[in-house]
Amino acid sequence: MKYITLTFSLNGNKISLKTHGNRRLLDVLRDDFGLTGTKEGCGIGECGVCTVILDGKAVNACLILAGQLEGSEVVTIEYLARDGKLTELQQAFLENGAVQCGFCTPGMLMSATALLNEVPFPSEIQIKEAIAGNLCRCTGYKQIIDAIQKTAIRLKK
Amino acid sequence: MSEFKPHQLAALERRVDAAPKVRGQVRYIRDLKIPGMWLGKTIRSPYAHAHILGIQLDRKFDWKQVVVVTAKDIPVNQVAMLENDMPFLAEKTVKYRGEAVVLLAAENQDLLNEAARHVRIDYKPLPAIFDVFASQVSFTKIFGDNNLFKEIAISRGNVEKARQNSDLTIEIETKTGFQEHLYLEPQGVIAIPEGDQVTIQGSLQCPYYVKRAIDNMFAGEKRITVIQAPTGGAFGGKEDYPSLLAGHAALLAVKAGRPLGMFYDREEDVQVTTKRHPSYHQDIAYVNKDGRIIGVELTIFLDGGAYCTLSPVVLARSALTALGCYHVPNVRILAKAVATHTVPSGAFRGFGGPQAIFAIEMLIEKIAYTLNLPPDQVRKRNLIRKGQRTATGQLLKYSVSARDTFQDVLRRSGYKKKFRTYQNHNADILKYLRKGSVSSLKAGEKLKGIGISVSQHGAGFTGTGENKINGKIRVEILPDGRVKIFSAATEMGQGEETAIRTIMAKALGIGREAVILSDINTDVVPDSGPTVASRTTMIVGSLLIEAAKEIVKKVKIDLSTKRKLSFTYRNGFFHNSSEKHAFQDAAKLSAGWSVEKQYRHPPIIQFDDILWTGDAYPVFSWAAAVAEIEVDPITFDVRVSRYTTSHDIGKAINPDQAVAQIQGGSLQGIGYALYEKIRLEEGHFDITGFTDYIIPTATEMPEFEVSLIENPYPYGPFGAKGLGELPLVGAAPAVVSALWMIFQEEFNEIPVLPEFLAKIFERKTGKNVSD
Ligand code: FES
Ligand code: FES
Repeated sequence: MKYITLTFSLNGNKISLKTHGNRRLLDVLRDDFGLTGTKEGCGIGECGVCTVILDGKAVNACLILAGQLEGSEVVTIEYLARDGKLTELQQAFLENGAVQCGFCTPGMLMSATALLNEVPFPSEIQIKEAIAGNLCRCTGYKQIIDAIQKTAIRLKK
Repeated sequence: MSEFKPHQLAALERRVDAAPKVRGQVRYIRDLKIPGMWLGKTIRSPYAHAHILGIQLDRKFDWKQVVVVTAKDIPVNQVAMLENDMPFLAEKTVKYRGEAVVLLAAENQDLLNEAARHVRIDYKPLPAIFDVFASQVSFTKIFGDNNLFKEIAISRGNVEKARQNSDLTIEIETKTGFQEHLYLEPQGVIAIPEGDQVTIQGSLQCPYYVKRAIDNMFAGEKRITVIQAPTGGAFGGKEDYPSLLAGHAALLAVKAGRPLGMFYDREEDVQVTTKRHPSYHQDIAYVNKDGRIIGVELTIFLDGGAYCTLSPVVLARSALTALGCYHVPNVRILAKAVATHTVPSGAFRGFGGPQAIFAIEMLIEKIAYTLNLPPDQVRKRNLIRKGQRTATGQLLKYSVSARDTFQDVLRRSGYKKKFRTYQNHNADILKYLRKGSVSSLKAGEKLKGIGISVSQHGAGFTGTGENKINGKIRVEILPDGRVKIFSAATEMGQGEETAIRTIMAKALGIGREAVILSDINTDVVPDSGPTVASRTTMIVGSLLIEAAKEIVKKVKIDLSTKRKLSFTYRNGFFHNSSEKHAFQDAAKLSAGWSVEKQYRHPPIIQFDDILWTGDAYPVFSWAAAVAEIEVDPITFDVRVSRYTTSHDIGKAINPDQAVAQIQGGSLQGIGYALYEKIRLEEGHFDITGFTDYIIPTATEMPEFEVSLIENPYPYGPFGAKGLGELPLVGAAPAVVSALWMIFQEEFNEIPVLPEFLAKIFERKTGKNVSD
């Protein structure tokens, strides 16, 4: 199998990576960069625990191949509190009790971050749609939606 | 009794484990990097029942780079559980499709897959049984000589007399399906061998269950340590199964002489791990015209699958929950857990309770519709109260809230008024549907329903279980005066760490930061019993309170000796007229001292598990729920729009987490009622993951209206009872009660899929309305 050399940005750093083009972004993140905050729950784009932000959009890292990364910008959960301080959204997840087992949490946060970047003041329906691909078996979603809504209000002020 | 209002919740304490989770810093089992670790793979039976004729390894393949384990390699080939009937690997016979036969280990997945292609297993297929009724009369034996894992008979009063004295006999047969836990993190375990030591780390609920199973597997020849890794959801699915998985990992690791990871992908996980027991109920009620139930005869069959696992105790809970929240003087309950050639059923949040409550609530619906009485009225007439006795004759002495939770949801949901309004609203739509004139429907118009349920969950183990477990904890005073709790209670998302630290901190009157928890490692923590049965807060919590008392006593003695003065302790301070010492400062004097506590039920709790009489549970938690639903008259999609529920859990240690648990559990119950369907095709589950096993997403989430009612349990920590399981239990019957209300039809089976609703009208009109 052929190696390719990719240049892309990962969490604000310029990366040059030699790898097989058909490897999944999920494996690149977890195995090559030790970014294990991005989880795997199905491997086929159904659960959303692998969500990262690629060029501003929330995507499933298990469906993105390394070959697609050339020139792109990838942001993972580890980037949110990069200076140690939690983002407003992370803070709101804590305050609203939006975390239980935590396995869906990184993906949820990435979908919601992408949403808030794009739609500063989303309606409840927009929020639900944005996280409809992020399954959570613990919370019943209510606290997660509350946390996203409250963040939107806080950021608007 | 007081009530929490949601707006009060924000100020209350948060979870202790959430911050690293939002940072993505928590290392779940797949996130660990273990040098030299190989991966394991399982080769499984394609038959539900077959003899294994032979296992051949292809000579042309280079086996030097692969480790192979078969039944012959296993010192004791039994997974130690209630019965030791399940092998780690099948040797002569396979009893379910997907049963493990051969294990492989290699450096990477590609090599494993290649190796698997060079293993040939020859089988002679045998007739298989998938039906609990066929199983009981079959000559094919799966378990014992009658294919029964357990049979329970409970009787009280005189059912014959009740029948004679009643106005009417009402019968219903109900059925519930498989349910998959679908924790977001699939099963995973790592085993690390070092000389005679094997260390197991994994996503699991009950470290001591795993330890016992692996100790037993190696016939005591290895030293076993079990460590719980952060666990991404469990719901009972990581209670019994990890013993089997850890056994596989340990066998491969020892044979390979290196660390070994067994990680299921989603498809393997949903195909072979335990499910909720499917159930069949045949229920008869003897009632008066006013809806009062004089007697019942309830028969329960649970499909236990191919091996016993925890079926006898699941069955016990089903039988002991069968009467729901009602007081009925004459009762006969017969319950059987039956073996079939299916993936073994196992623990799942509610543990036999959801099946039992669904059945009794549907019986109540049938009574209401037969007698033409409002369903809430029939419930109200029969609800149990303090001072009355349950089916086992247990006198309910305290903390009984069947009526309070019921009244509370009725009032908050506006049930009675909506019941009438929705009936009027539906009249025209139903008329068109019955005529088959779908074209007359207004666009976007929905049928509206409202349904109700009452439910209960006995807190802690069933019957004498707690006294058999003798759960232990230890608390130690650290050099800096903080206290450290050693218990085997595990966090899997339910908030156990927060609850335990909060209880200890409150009991000592100190801040939660001064209480820390030991890692869950069987070398370090005593066996406080498994984290199941909604028992941790109540049982472990009550031990912590006892321990706290002794800690205060000890520190007080040490302080008094040193200062040559006497002290009293209040609100975190030891003081007398001249001095005041904060707990943590004073406790430094007692550094290194520790106290161990062992649980026994309060002596007033007595149960006879031969006659099935007495106090089945020390106390019950109670809930009532009202589900409002909308049904699309064209597609028959059902959506729960609003879900109002009241829970009495004694005392909420963390009210915001209690509300979160209630919402999450309710949504699982809604999924159980409407979406989560598994069909069995020749012993094979027709699901592979999230696309064909549908769990509720954020768009299916109803508006939740949750309230907590506090009716303290005198022996629980601060009055707390159990919570974890109850929210799921009453959800399905509340949703299905709303379907009865709309369609005025008998609904006796879950899940209720749109196809089923469409058929109601196909029968009536002879037309295919869903086209
Ligand atoms: S792991 Fe990518 S969507 Fe499930
Ligand atoms: S918190 Fe457990 S899956 Fe969402």
